[in-house]
Amino acid sequence: MAVYHQMGHHSNNLIDLQDMSTYAGAIFSPINCTETEAASQGEGAKQSKANFEIILDPQLYVPATERGKLRKWSYFPKDVDTADFTDARWWTELNKKLAGACKKIKANAVCSPVVIPKVFDDKYYANAVRVGSELCALMQKDGINVMQTALVSFAELGSGTRPLEVASIISGTDADRVYLVLVGSTPPRREIAEVDELKGAMQLINALERNKVPVTVGFCSSDILLWKTAGASGCASGKFFNLRRFTRQRFEEPAEGGGQLPYWFEEELMAFLRQGDLLRIRKHGLLGEASRRNPFGQQILAQIDEAERTRTKLKPWLAISWRQFLYWFADVESRLSKGTVDAEYLLKAGDANWSRLDKDKVLMEERGNDGTWVRAWLNAVNEYKASK
Amino acid sequence: MQNGELEQVARKICAKRGLQFVQRVGEGAFKQTFHVVDGKHTPLALKVFKATSSNKRDQREIDAMLRCKHSNIARLVCVENCSHVGQQFVAITEEFLPGGTLTAKGQLSIAQGVAVGKQLVEAIAHIAALHLVHRDIKPDNILFRADDSTPVITDFGVVRDLTDSSITPTWAARGPGTPFFAAPEQLNNEKSLTDWRTDQFALGVVLAYSVLGTHPYSESGISDREIVDRVAARRAPGDWFQGRAAEAGLPALLKMVAPWPVDRFRRPEMLTRAWSEQKG
Repeated sequence: MAVYHQMGHHSNNLIDLQDMSTYAGAIFSPINCTETEAASQGEGAKQSKANFEIILDPQLYVPATERGKLRKWSYFPKDVDTADFTDARWWTELNKKLAGACKKIKANAVCSPVVIPKVFDDKYYANAVRVGSELCALMQKDGINVMQTALVSFAELGSGTRPLEVASIISGTDADRVYLVLVGSTPPRREIAEVDELKGAMQLINALERNKVPVTVGFCSSDILLWKTAGASGCASGKFFNLRRFTRQRFEEPAEGGGQLPYWFEEELMAFLRQGDLLRIRKHGLLGEASRRNPFGQQILAQIDEAERTRTKLKPWLAISWRQFLYWFADVESRLSKGTVDAEYLLKAGDANWSRLDKDKVLMEERGNDGTWVRAWLNAVNEYKASK
Repeated sequence: MQNGELEQVARKICAKRGLQFVQRVGEGAFKQTFHVVDGKHTPLALKVFKATSSNKRDQREIDAMLRCKHSNIARLVCVENCSHVGQQFVAITEEFLPGGTLTAKGQLSIAQGVAVGKQLVEAIAHIAALHLVHRDIKPDNILFRADDSTPVITDFGVVRDLTDSSITPTWAARGPGTPFFAAPEQLNNEKSLTDWRTDQFALGVVLAYSVLGTHPYSESGISDREIVDRVAARRAPGDWFQGRAAEAGLPALLKMVAPWPVDRFRRPEMLTRAWSEQKG
């Protein structure tokens, strides 16, 4: 039961605080830092916290897109845009170089390399497992743990037995654990609300976990509720994943884009709120207990109150908003793991609160921020439980 | 008359190698097996079939057997080509297993089943380590040595090498093997779902059948064909079987025959450990 920090651009300092000590490790993105920077950041993190796990995600997901510093990494294949991905030798060469990069940055673990395919079929998953198992054999002598990357399309999980088919192929890996990346087409700042797809993703996680294949779900947001309900051992999130999940579009945006407005995460609504919405919700007494005891939430509210009291310009709270979310993320994971709260309870409360706002004619600044996904998530949880 | 022809080839090989021809002991669709004895009075099995330019399966069988080195897997002695009346034949010489088949043993006691199962689990673990899938684990392909207690897996005729391309066409509705003992993924020709867990399923069926006298997916009054259909459709094992396996102290059987590979033992060592804990 663990939370991981999905590292973003200059985000290594976000969890290097006493209040973020529950993070078990960080998943490094080569898009945002060079090998030297990764080695230095990893070393720093390990010094400040014993057993802190440094995981490298090679991020070869989408060829021909913005790659940031990825091109500078020693394993990056120069022919990635033209390579024949059915050629086993290409993957072997990549695995060898990746193993070398892991050693250089002193990673504890590495996610096996994958690309986003045109079609998510059995052959694609079988190849991913073959590559992951090959990497396990390469890494064995160095004591670097391999996580089998399973890049799975939400869309396919909505159909019948597909979650069990995918789980059956993925569980054939020699790796001890799975790094699950759920790929969707939901635009940034919108929540995934397809009940069957969410239920299918939960079934996939559960099929692996009940057979002792620990799953860490990457690129999570508030959907952590669903994955924890399904039994996920780990969940990872980062500063932008409060707003952008794993969609193809995220690769098409500039590295610094997509998250420049500060958002407050409110558990009572299971929603991200802009500043104006936060003030409205506060007036309605809908700031929950989890928000009130969130130290970064307290900082944000103190800054807002101070600006109002002194009639001065409000200090920017973007960086604190990332921490407010990341703190909540670790906190809710802990409560869900301990069983002091469950997803159904939180979602029911969220649904009731959205009804109350609706009745009181309180609208959020963003038209799509209307809480409709909360009911879909509640249905997904209920239907998942019924299917077990 | 192909049958007579294969025996003639066998006798010809015996004459050439100084072997004593004893008798025909087995017959498949395209192959025959003969009991022969070498100059040191060692009994051997001589398997003869017609060579075809396209028969990759025969080569896979030979390659697989050459790679296997385990006391519970039939030992290949030599392979040779033989010309007879203008045609090419292949002759595989294996150790002779005089203890008869598991089929011929009839129902085993639970203690016997646990002991036989332990050895067969180790054998399929060995096959798995070589990235091979036997795909035809069944009582007729499990023979015993002269001690009558050492089971040996034979007949790698439809073996799948996971490091090589599949021979079975994707359009085929069903993969090769014996349907009654086959796993759902084999019956449905789901290539990417086929791995060592496919053999695990078949072994689970074999052990259930040999010890409990029933196919795990059987229900009262249904035919063998209906049992196979139930497996292919991934219906759950029958209630009677579930109760009986637990009662017999063989709960590992339930996991071995799970409809989806993900729900079976994930790794050979997990199955080995679980089977060693079967109280029987």
